Amino acid sequence: MEVKILSAKFDLEDGHKLEIAKQHGAYGTLDKLFAMKPEEVIEEVKASGLRGRGGAGFPAGVKWGFLPKGTGKPVYLAVNSDESEPATFKDRYILVKDPHMMIEGIIICSYAIGSHDTYIYIRGEYTSQVKALQAAIDEAYEAGYLGDKVAGHDFKLEVTVHRGAGAYVCGEETGLLESIEGKKGQPRAKPPFPAVSGLYGCPTIINNVQSIASLPFILEKGAEAYKAYGTEKSSGTHLFGISGHVEKPGMYELPLGLPLLEVVEKVAGGVWKGRTLKGVIPGGSSTPVLTPDEAKTVTLDYESMAEHKTMFGSGGIVVLDETVDMVKLVENLIYFYHHESCGQCTPCREGLGWMLKIIKKVVRGEGEMSDINLLLELCDNIEMKTVCVLSAACTMPVRSYLVKFRDEFDAYVSEDISTAAANQE
Amino acid sequence: MAEMIKLFVNGNEVEVEAGKNLIDAIGAVGIEIPHLCYHPALGADGNCRMCLVGLEEGGPPLVAACKTPAAEGMKVLLDADHIKKIQHDVLEFQLINHPVDCPVCDQAGECSLQDYYMTYDGQKSRMTVPQVTKSKKMDFGCGVIHDQERCVLCGRCVRFCRQITKTGELGIVNRTDTARVAIFPGRPLDNRYAVNVVDLCPVGAMTSADFRFKQRVWFMKKERGVCHGCSKGCNITIDHNREKDQDDLIYRFRPLFNEQINGYFICDEGRLSYRDENENRLTEARLSKTTMSLDKAVTAGLKEIKRAEGIVILISPDCSLEQMVSVKSLAEELGATLSGFSDGYIKKGDGDDYLIQDDKAANRAGLAALNIDSSQTGFEEALAKAGLLINFNNDLSLFYDESSLKKLFKEKRVIGVTSRNTKLFQMANLVIPVASFTEYSGSIISCDNILQTFNRAITKNDTLVDICEVASLFGGPLKTDRDRYDELKKIVVSLNDFDPDTIPATGLKLT
Repeated sequence: MEVKILSAKFDLEDGHKLEIAKQHGAYGTLDKLFAMKPEEVIEEVKASGLRGRGGAGFPAGVKWGFLPKGTGKPVYLAVNSDESEPATFKDRYILVKDPHMMIEGIIICSYAIGSHDTYIYIRGEYTSQVKALQAAIDEAYEAGYLGDKVAGHDFKLEVTVHRGAGAYVCGEETGLLESIEGKKGQPRAKPPFPAVSGLYGCPTIINNVQSIASLPFILEKGAEAYKAYGTEKSSGTHLFGISGHVEKPGMYELPLGLPLLEVVEKVAGGVWKGRTLKGVIPGGSSTPVLTPDEAKTVTLDYESMAEHKTMFGSGGIVVLDETVDMVKLVENLIYFYHHESCGQCTPCREGLGWMLKIIKKVVRGEGEMSDINLLLELCDNIEMKTVCVLSAACTMPVRSYLVKFRDEFDAYVSEDISTAAANQE
Repeated sequence: MAEMIKLFVNGNEVEVEAGKNLIDAIGAVGIEIPHLCYHPALGADGNCRMCLVGLEEGGPPLVAACKTPAAEGMKVLLDADHIKKIQHDVLEFQLINHPVDCPVCDQAGECSLQDYYMTYDGQKSRMTVPQVTKSKKMDFGCGVIHDQERCVLCGRCVRFCRQITKTGELGIVNRTDTARVAIFPGRPLDNRYAVNVVDLCPVGAMTSADFRFKQRVWFMKKERGVCHGCSKGCNITIDHNREKDQDDLIYRFRPLFNEQINGYFICDEGRLSYRDENENRLTEARLSKTTMSLDKAVTAGLKEIKRAEGIVILISPDCSLEQMVSVKSLAEELGATLSGFSDGYIKKGDGDDYLIQDDKAANRAGLAALNIDSSQTGFEEALAKAGLLINFNNDLSLFYDESSLKKLFKEKRVIGVTSRNTKLFQMANLVIPVASFTEYSGSIISCDNILQTFNRAITKNDTLVDICEVASLFGGPLKTDRDRYDELKKIVVSLNDFDPDTIPATGLKLT
């Protein structure tokens, strides 16, 4: 089931080094690139059906097309390497194992959108990754792939790495821009969208690492070759991080559209220790959980996930076995999103803290049935009323657990806490 | 006239001004969209989420009204159940960690949170878990006291210090529900407009050290006034109250919006100048050290005038145009030399490029408009030859020190007509108390050549006379307001088309 498109050079020894990467085709698309017109590149990417790999799945080529023409302002490219969604660990492989693939992607994207300045926003916790990335960028500058004349062509490109300071919300694209500008990482109200007014008020395209890293393949082999993988609407391949209660957790590159359970069985070795499946988080902690029944019919693509009222997300699949206490899982979830709320707008700032205190009360065994109902109501009251979607990243999954595993929550409030605890033993 | 567009609110067509956001555009026709963080002087931020409204047909179903420009044909939904629910929900979120200490909060009675709760929420608290606790009564400097627990994090104060004063003392630190407004350690508020954050604060998080715990706001009467602290002529609201068995006292000046003069703000010095209206006032006429009634004092004054060989009349540049023209006519009647010498009112370099002016005189432009000589030599030469000085409230001590004043007044008789019981007027042979600017009606011309009128706001228990009245009692020919205004029109041509009641409330730019 596994394929090697993005991860083709991951297994090479020293594949992150320019010399080795070049032997395996890195920067091989540049001559072809500069022979094309920027619009042709955009058309090729549109034709490939590549969708944003940051979680929202918005078609990359279409996003580029939103850039206004003739503003007289510089166009910026910001590469989102914040990768802070819990259970997501795909971009870090690219940063460490094949950074030149991403740099090549940056060149392709920059040429297509007419940008000469790229900021790579990388999360502060990625200490070794940032070193690897910077080393690769230094190599690329030295070899002339970045700088005044990219690979000898009349195209200037500067790439700057900007380290975050450890805030989940800086992975939200406008929070990321604020952070690059040296401000507190708080998402901006939209509109205007970054394509119109982004970094320093200039048109800006923000793409995820994996989206950018997918470009060299598309340009080299063509849109049709990329579309050969995946489904009609969800084309290509994706790096899936499979974690949780499986025998073989890890990062696997798979074409989109495979049945979830088959992947868990065949790729990740199935639920560990012979236990039974209780649920699957399909794409990072912010995606609504799937019950084993739902997991049976879902496939790993944007459309099937939406049909199952969840989201494809970031490809971070978490397998939950029968021992998982969903109430405590929800407590952990709310704790995280409350902690990461930027505190800017009212419903998220106040509401998530309230939810956390309520779920803690429930976990302590002091909750009442009304608390569970209040939690559900608060999910509705907060969701989509906020500046950004951080609050929804909390309320959507929380609601899914409350609805799909309601009896576990009821047990906490209706029974003696020791009984509920005993059930977990 | 701004361009008008038509849009629909709850299905009803309304005509509003183009180019404004929904809050201002719809607000101008009397339909309130509740909001906490938006302020027209500070722009839209969009953080409070109180102003979320629905849009039917086209566009996202839910938008922040503060960030949405009014557009032709727009269908705004305000009274739908789901919008009302959002308003209720946002208020619930604002209130769960709010101390709800309205009974001891100075903002009570003029608090957006309180008003909105009554209008849009009104439900019992569902908060059964401990509240977030933060710091209280923090001294932020410049007389601003901050209560973090009452704060709704709207950020108006922060934006004011960044956008208006450009001093940036305030910021919001921390994330999530531990976010709070703070100063940098050891770096308190340090600008001359700081107390405006108290007015800007929609709740009781920012209170004025000067005002807090002095009055409940609903007891105070509010009158429009014009600040006399400098030549800018900022519009103010005079908040005053007569407590039982006390005099009518002013408790605070607050800025009153006037687009062409001061916008939404005033400086802190002007704000605190209300104290001079309450304190250190001259209330009784006095000849040498004997107090007397106004009648007797006027009689004594008339005697002085009759006896005098050469009279100089000095007028304050703070006086109203009506007072100036009365005194000018008096001077002509008595054959006296009139001077508006007041160089001491000018504090060179004190002004800024915003509201504060070097010239602390409220109506120096009025002196010029009435052709009253204000030169030092004119004043000193005339006084040297004169035997009597009648000083209408001009604070000469701003220019001369005590020994110079003694020298100046040597072998002169001095009549002081004043509202202030200061050392300068204690040197006068006869003093007559008069009303201060909050106690009379009049008009003044600002440094920007804008004519403004104002009405009497305060009525003291023992009402003091207006300078116009004293001028008339001393033999001045202008007896009525009509007389004064007609005389004014003769001198100031640009007033020809106007009468006091046709001058717009926001002022008249003179050409």
